[in-house]
Amino acid sequence: MSQTEDLLKRLPNDIGGMTAEPIVQVEHMLEPWEKRCHALADVLDFHKILNTEEKRRGVEGLGSEMIGKLSYYERWIAAFANIFFQKGILTPTELAMKMEEVAARLPETPADACANS
Amino acid sequence: MKSHSHDHDHTHHHPHAEIIEVAKPGYYEIMETAVRELLFEKNLITPNEIRRQIEVLDSRTPALGAGVVAHAWVDPAFKARLLADGRKGCEELGISFYDDTQLIVLENTKHVHNLIVCTLCSCYPRPVLGLPPDWYKLKPFRARAIYEPRAVLAEFGTYIPDDVEIRVSDSTAIVRYLVLPMRPAGTDAFTEEQLAALVTRDAMIGVVPALSVTAEPAP
Amino acid sequence: MSLIKQNPPTYMLQVASALGERPAFSVGKAVRVLVRFPVGHYRVPIYLRGKKGIVESIIAAPAVDNETEGFGHNAGSKLHYYRIAIPMSEIWKDYVGSTADSVRIEVYETWLKEDLT
Repeated sequence: MSQTEDLLKRLPNDIGGMTAEPIVQVEHMLEPWEKRCHALADVLDFHKILNTEEKRRGVEGLGSEMIGKLSYYERWIAAFANIFFQKGILTPTELAMKMEEVAARLPETPADACANS
Repeated sequence: MKSHSHDHDHTHHHPHAEIIEVAKPGYYEIMETAVRELLFEKNLITPNEIRRQIEVLDSRTPALGAGVVAHAWVDPAFKARLLADGRKGCEELGISFYDDTQLIVLENTKHVHNLIVCTLCSCYPRPVLGLPPDWYKLKPFRARAIYEPRAVLAEFGTYIPDDVEIRVSDSTAIVRYLVLPMRPAGTDAFTEEQLAALVTRDAMIGVVPALSVTAEPAP
Repeated sequence: MSLIKQNPPTYMLQVASALGERPAFSVGKAVRVLVRFPVGHYRVPIYLRGKKGIVESIIAAPAVDNETEGFGHNAGSKLHYYRIAIPMSEIWKDYVGSTADSVRIEVYETWLKEDLT
């Protein structure tokens, strides 16, 4: 029996029933970009460009390492990018070039934040 | 990492007193900005729609849910309608739902205590409660609420006697949940506004009861 | 959209319904969650697979299968969601709490069968 089948059988977000630590009642005010990201998801849903279920599936598709290491809205935006590529709405090159443009225009932005990606 | 408080897709210019440190936009903020601007350029969405939805999100706070709960406490006929169809009940009070979700309102009684969770992601009654706290979306709550609700509740300081049934509702599809906490004792003379002040977000998730009353209501 | 808490009236008008138009399971029916391990997107947690519960209510309007919706299929045939009540002891062998404690969860029709045990 394959040792890795559990990785396919159990989605990384399917954690109901797993052992976990005590709850730390942490919360934070959303960063402006996080709120924009949430608004973006809602607007995409209204337009039927990307629905909630697709977003969930997109986040799952990032895999356990990314899910573990990226924060909530970081996962969303990464998932959106992937889904847009699949749907032919954006290309990776387009997005990379636009990110470089955005990074260059904003003050105090380290240019190598994008260059090394 | 905190972002600069201005929305950078406005083209206003103004002198900054740059004594404060301007935070560097991170990688993901850059990605979010780039994705959004590309979608604008392709006429798939508009800046106005994003601005408007941010306003919608900002307008949704636990105060809305608290108002629904307080109204249900004082108006039994409304409560019955709310329990039959949570979304319609909220809409009666002017709380529009901006998505396709439905709402089931779960009434706590002397015999039944309800708790809500989304083990698979972060489903939450956002139109009526606003955005969920981080702890609701993180592993410890999502993993444990479904198999040891009493231990989880104890971590919030809530002890449910053994003769009270606990129902844990796990959202997975189109329905969202809102807990209707029990009305605290000694509130017969309270106005709806005073009652609403007793209802916290955490009480509507089901991890704590509504605030109890030990003194006269605030004027 | 309301919940169908009661069973439909006992008189039944003589019409032929399309497939999926009427709920397959009525309130109070014993159902069992199927054991199936889809690769990719699913919305029935692993802790629920193979468990037996009772239909508490039916989510009134039929809907598209959310698991295929995750891949962008917004149209197609619609079936019902059922809110199922399952005792904690049915799911967790070492459950600590009252025997009356339960999980309530909405499950799509494709994941359920009548339990005849």
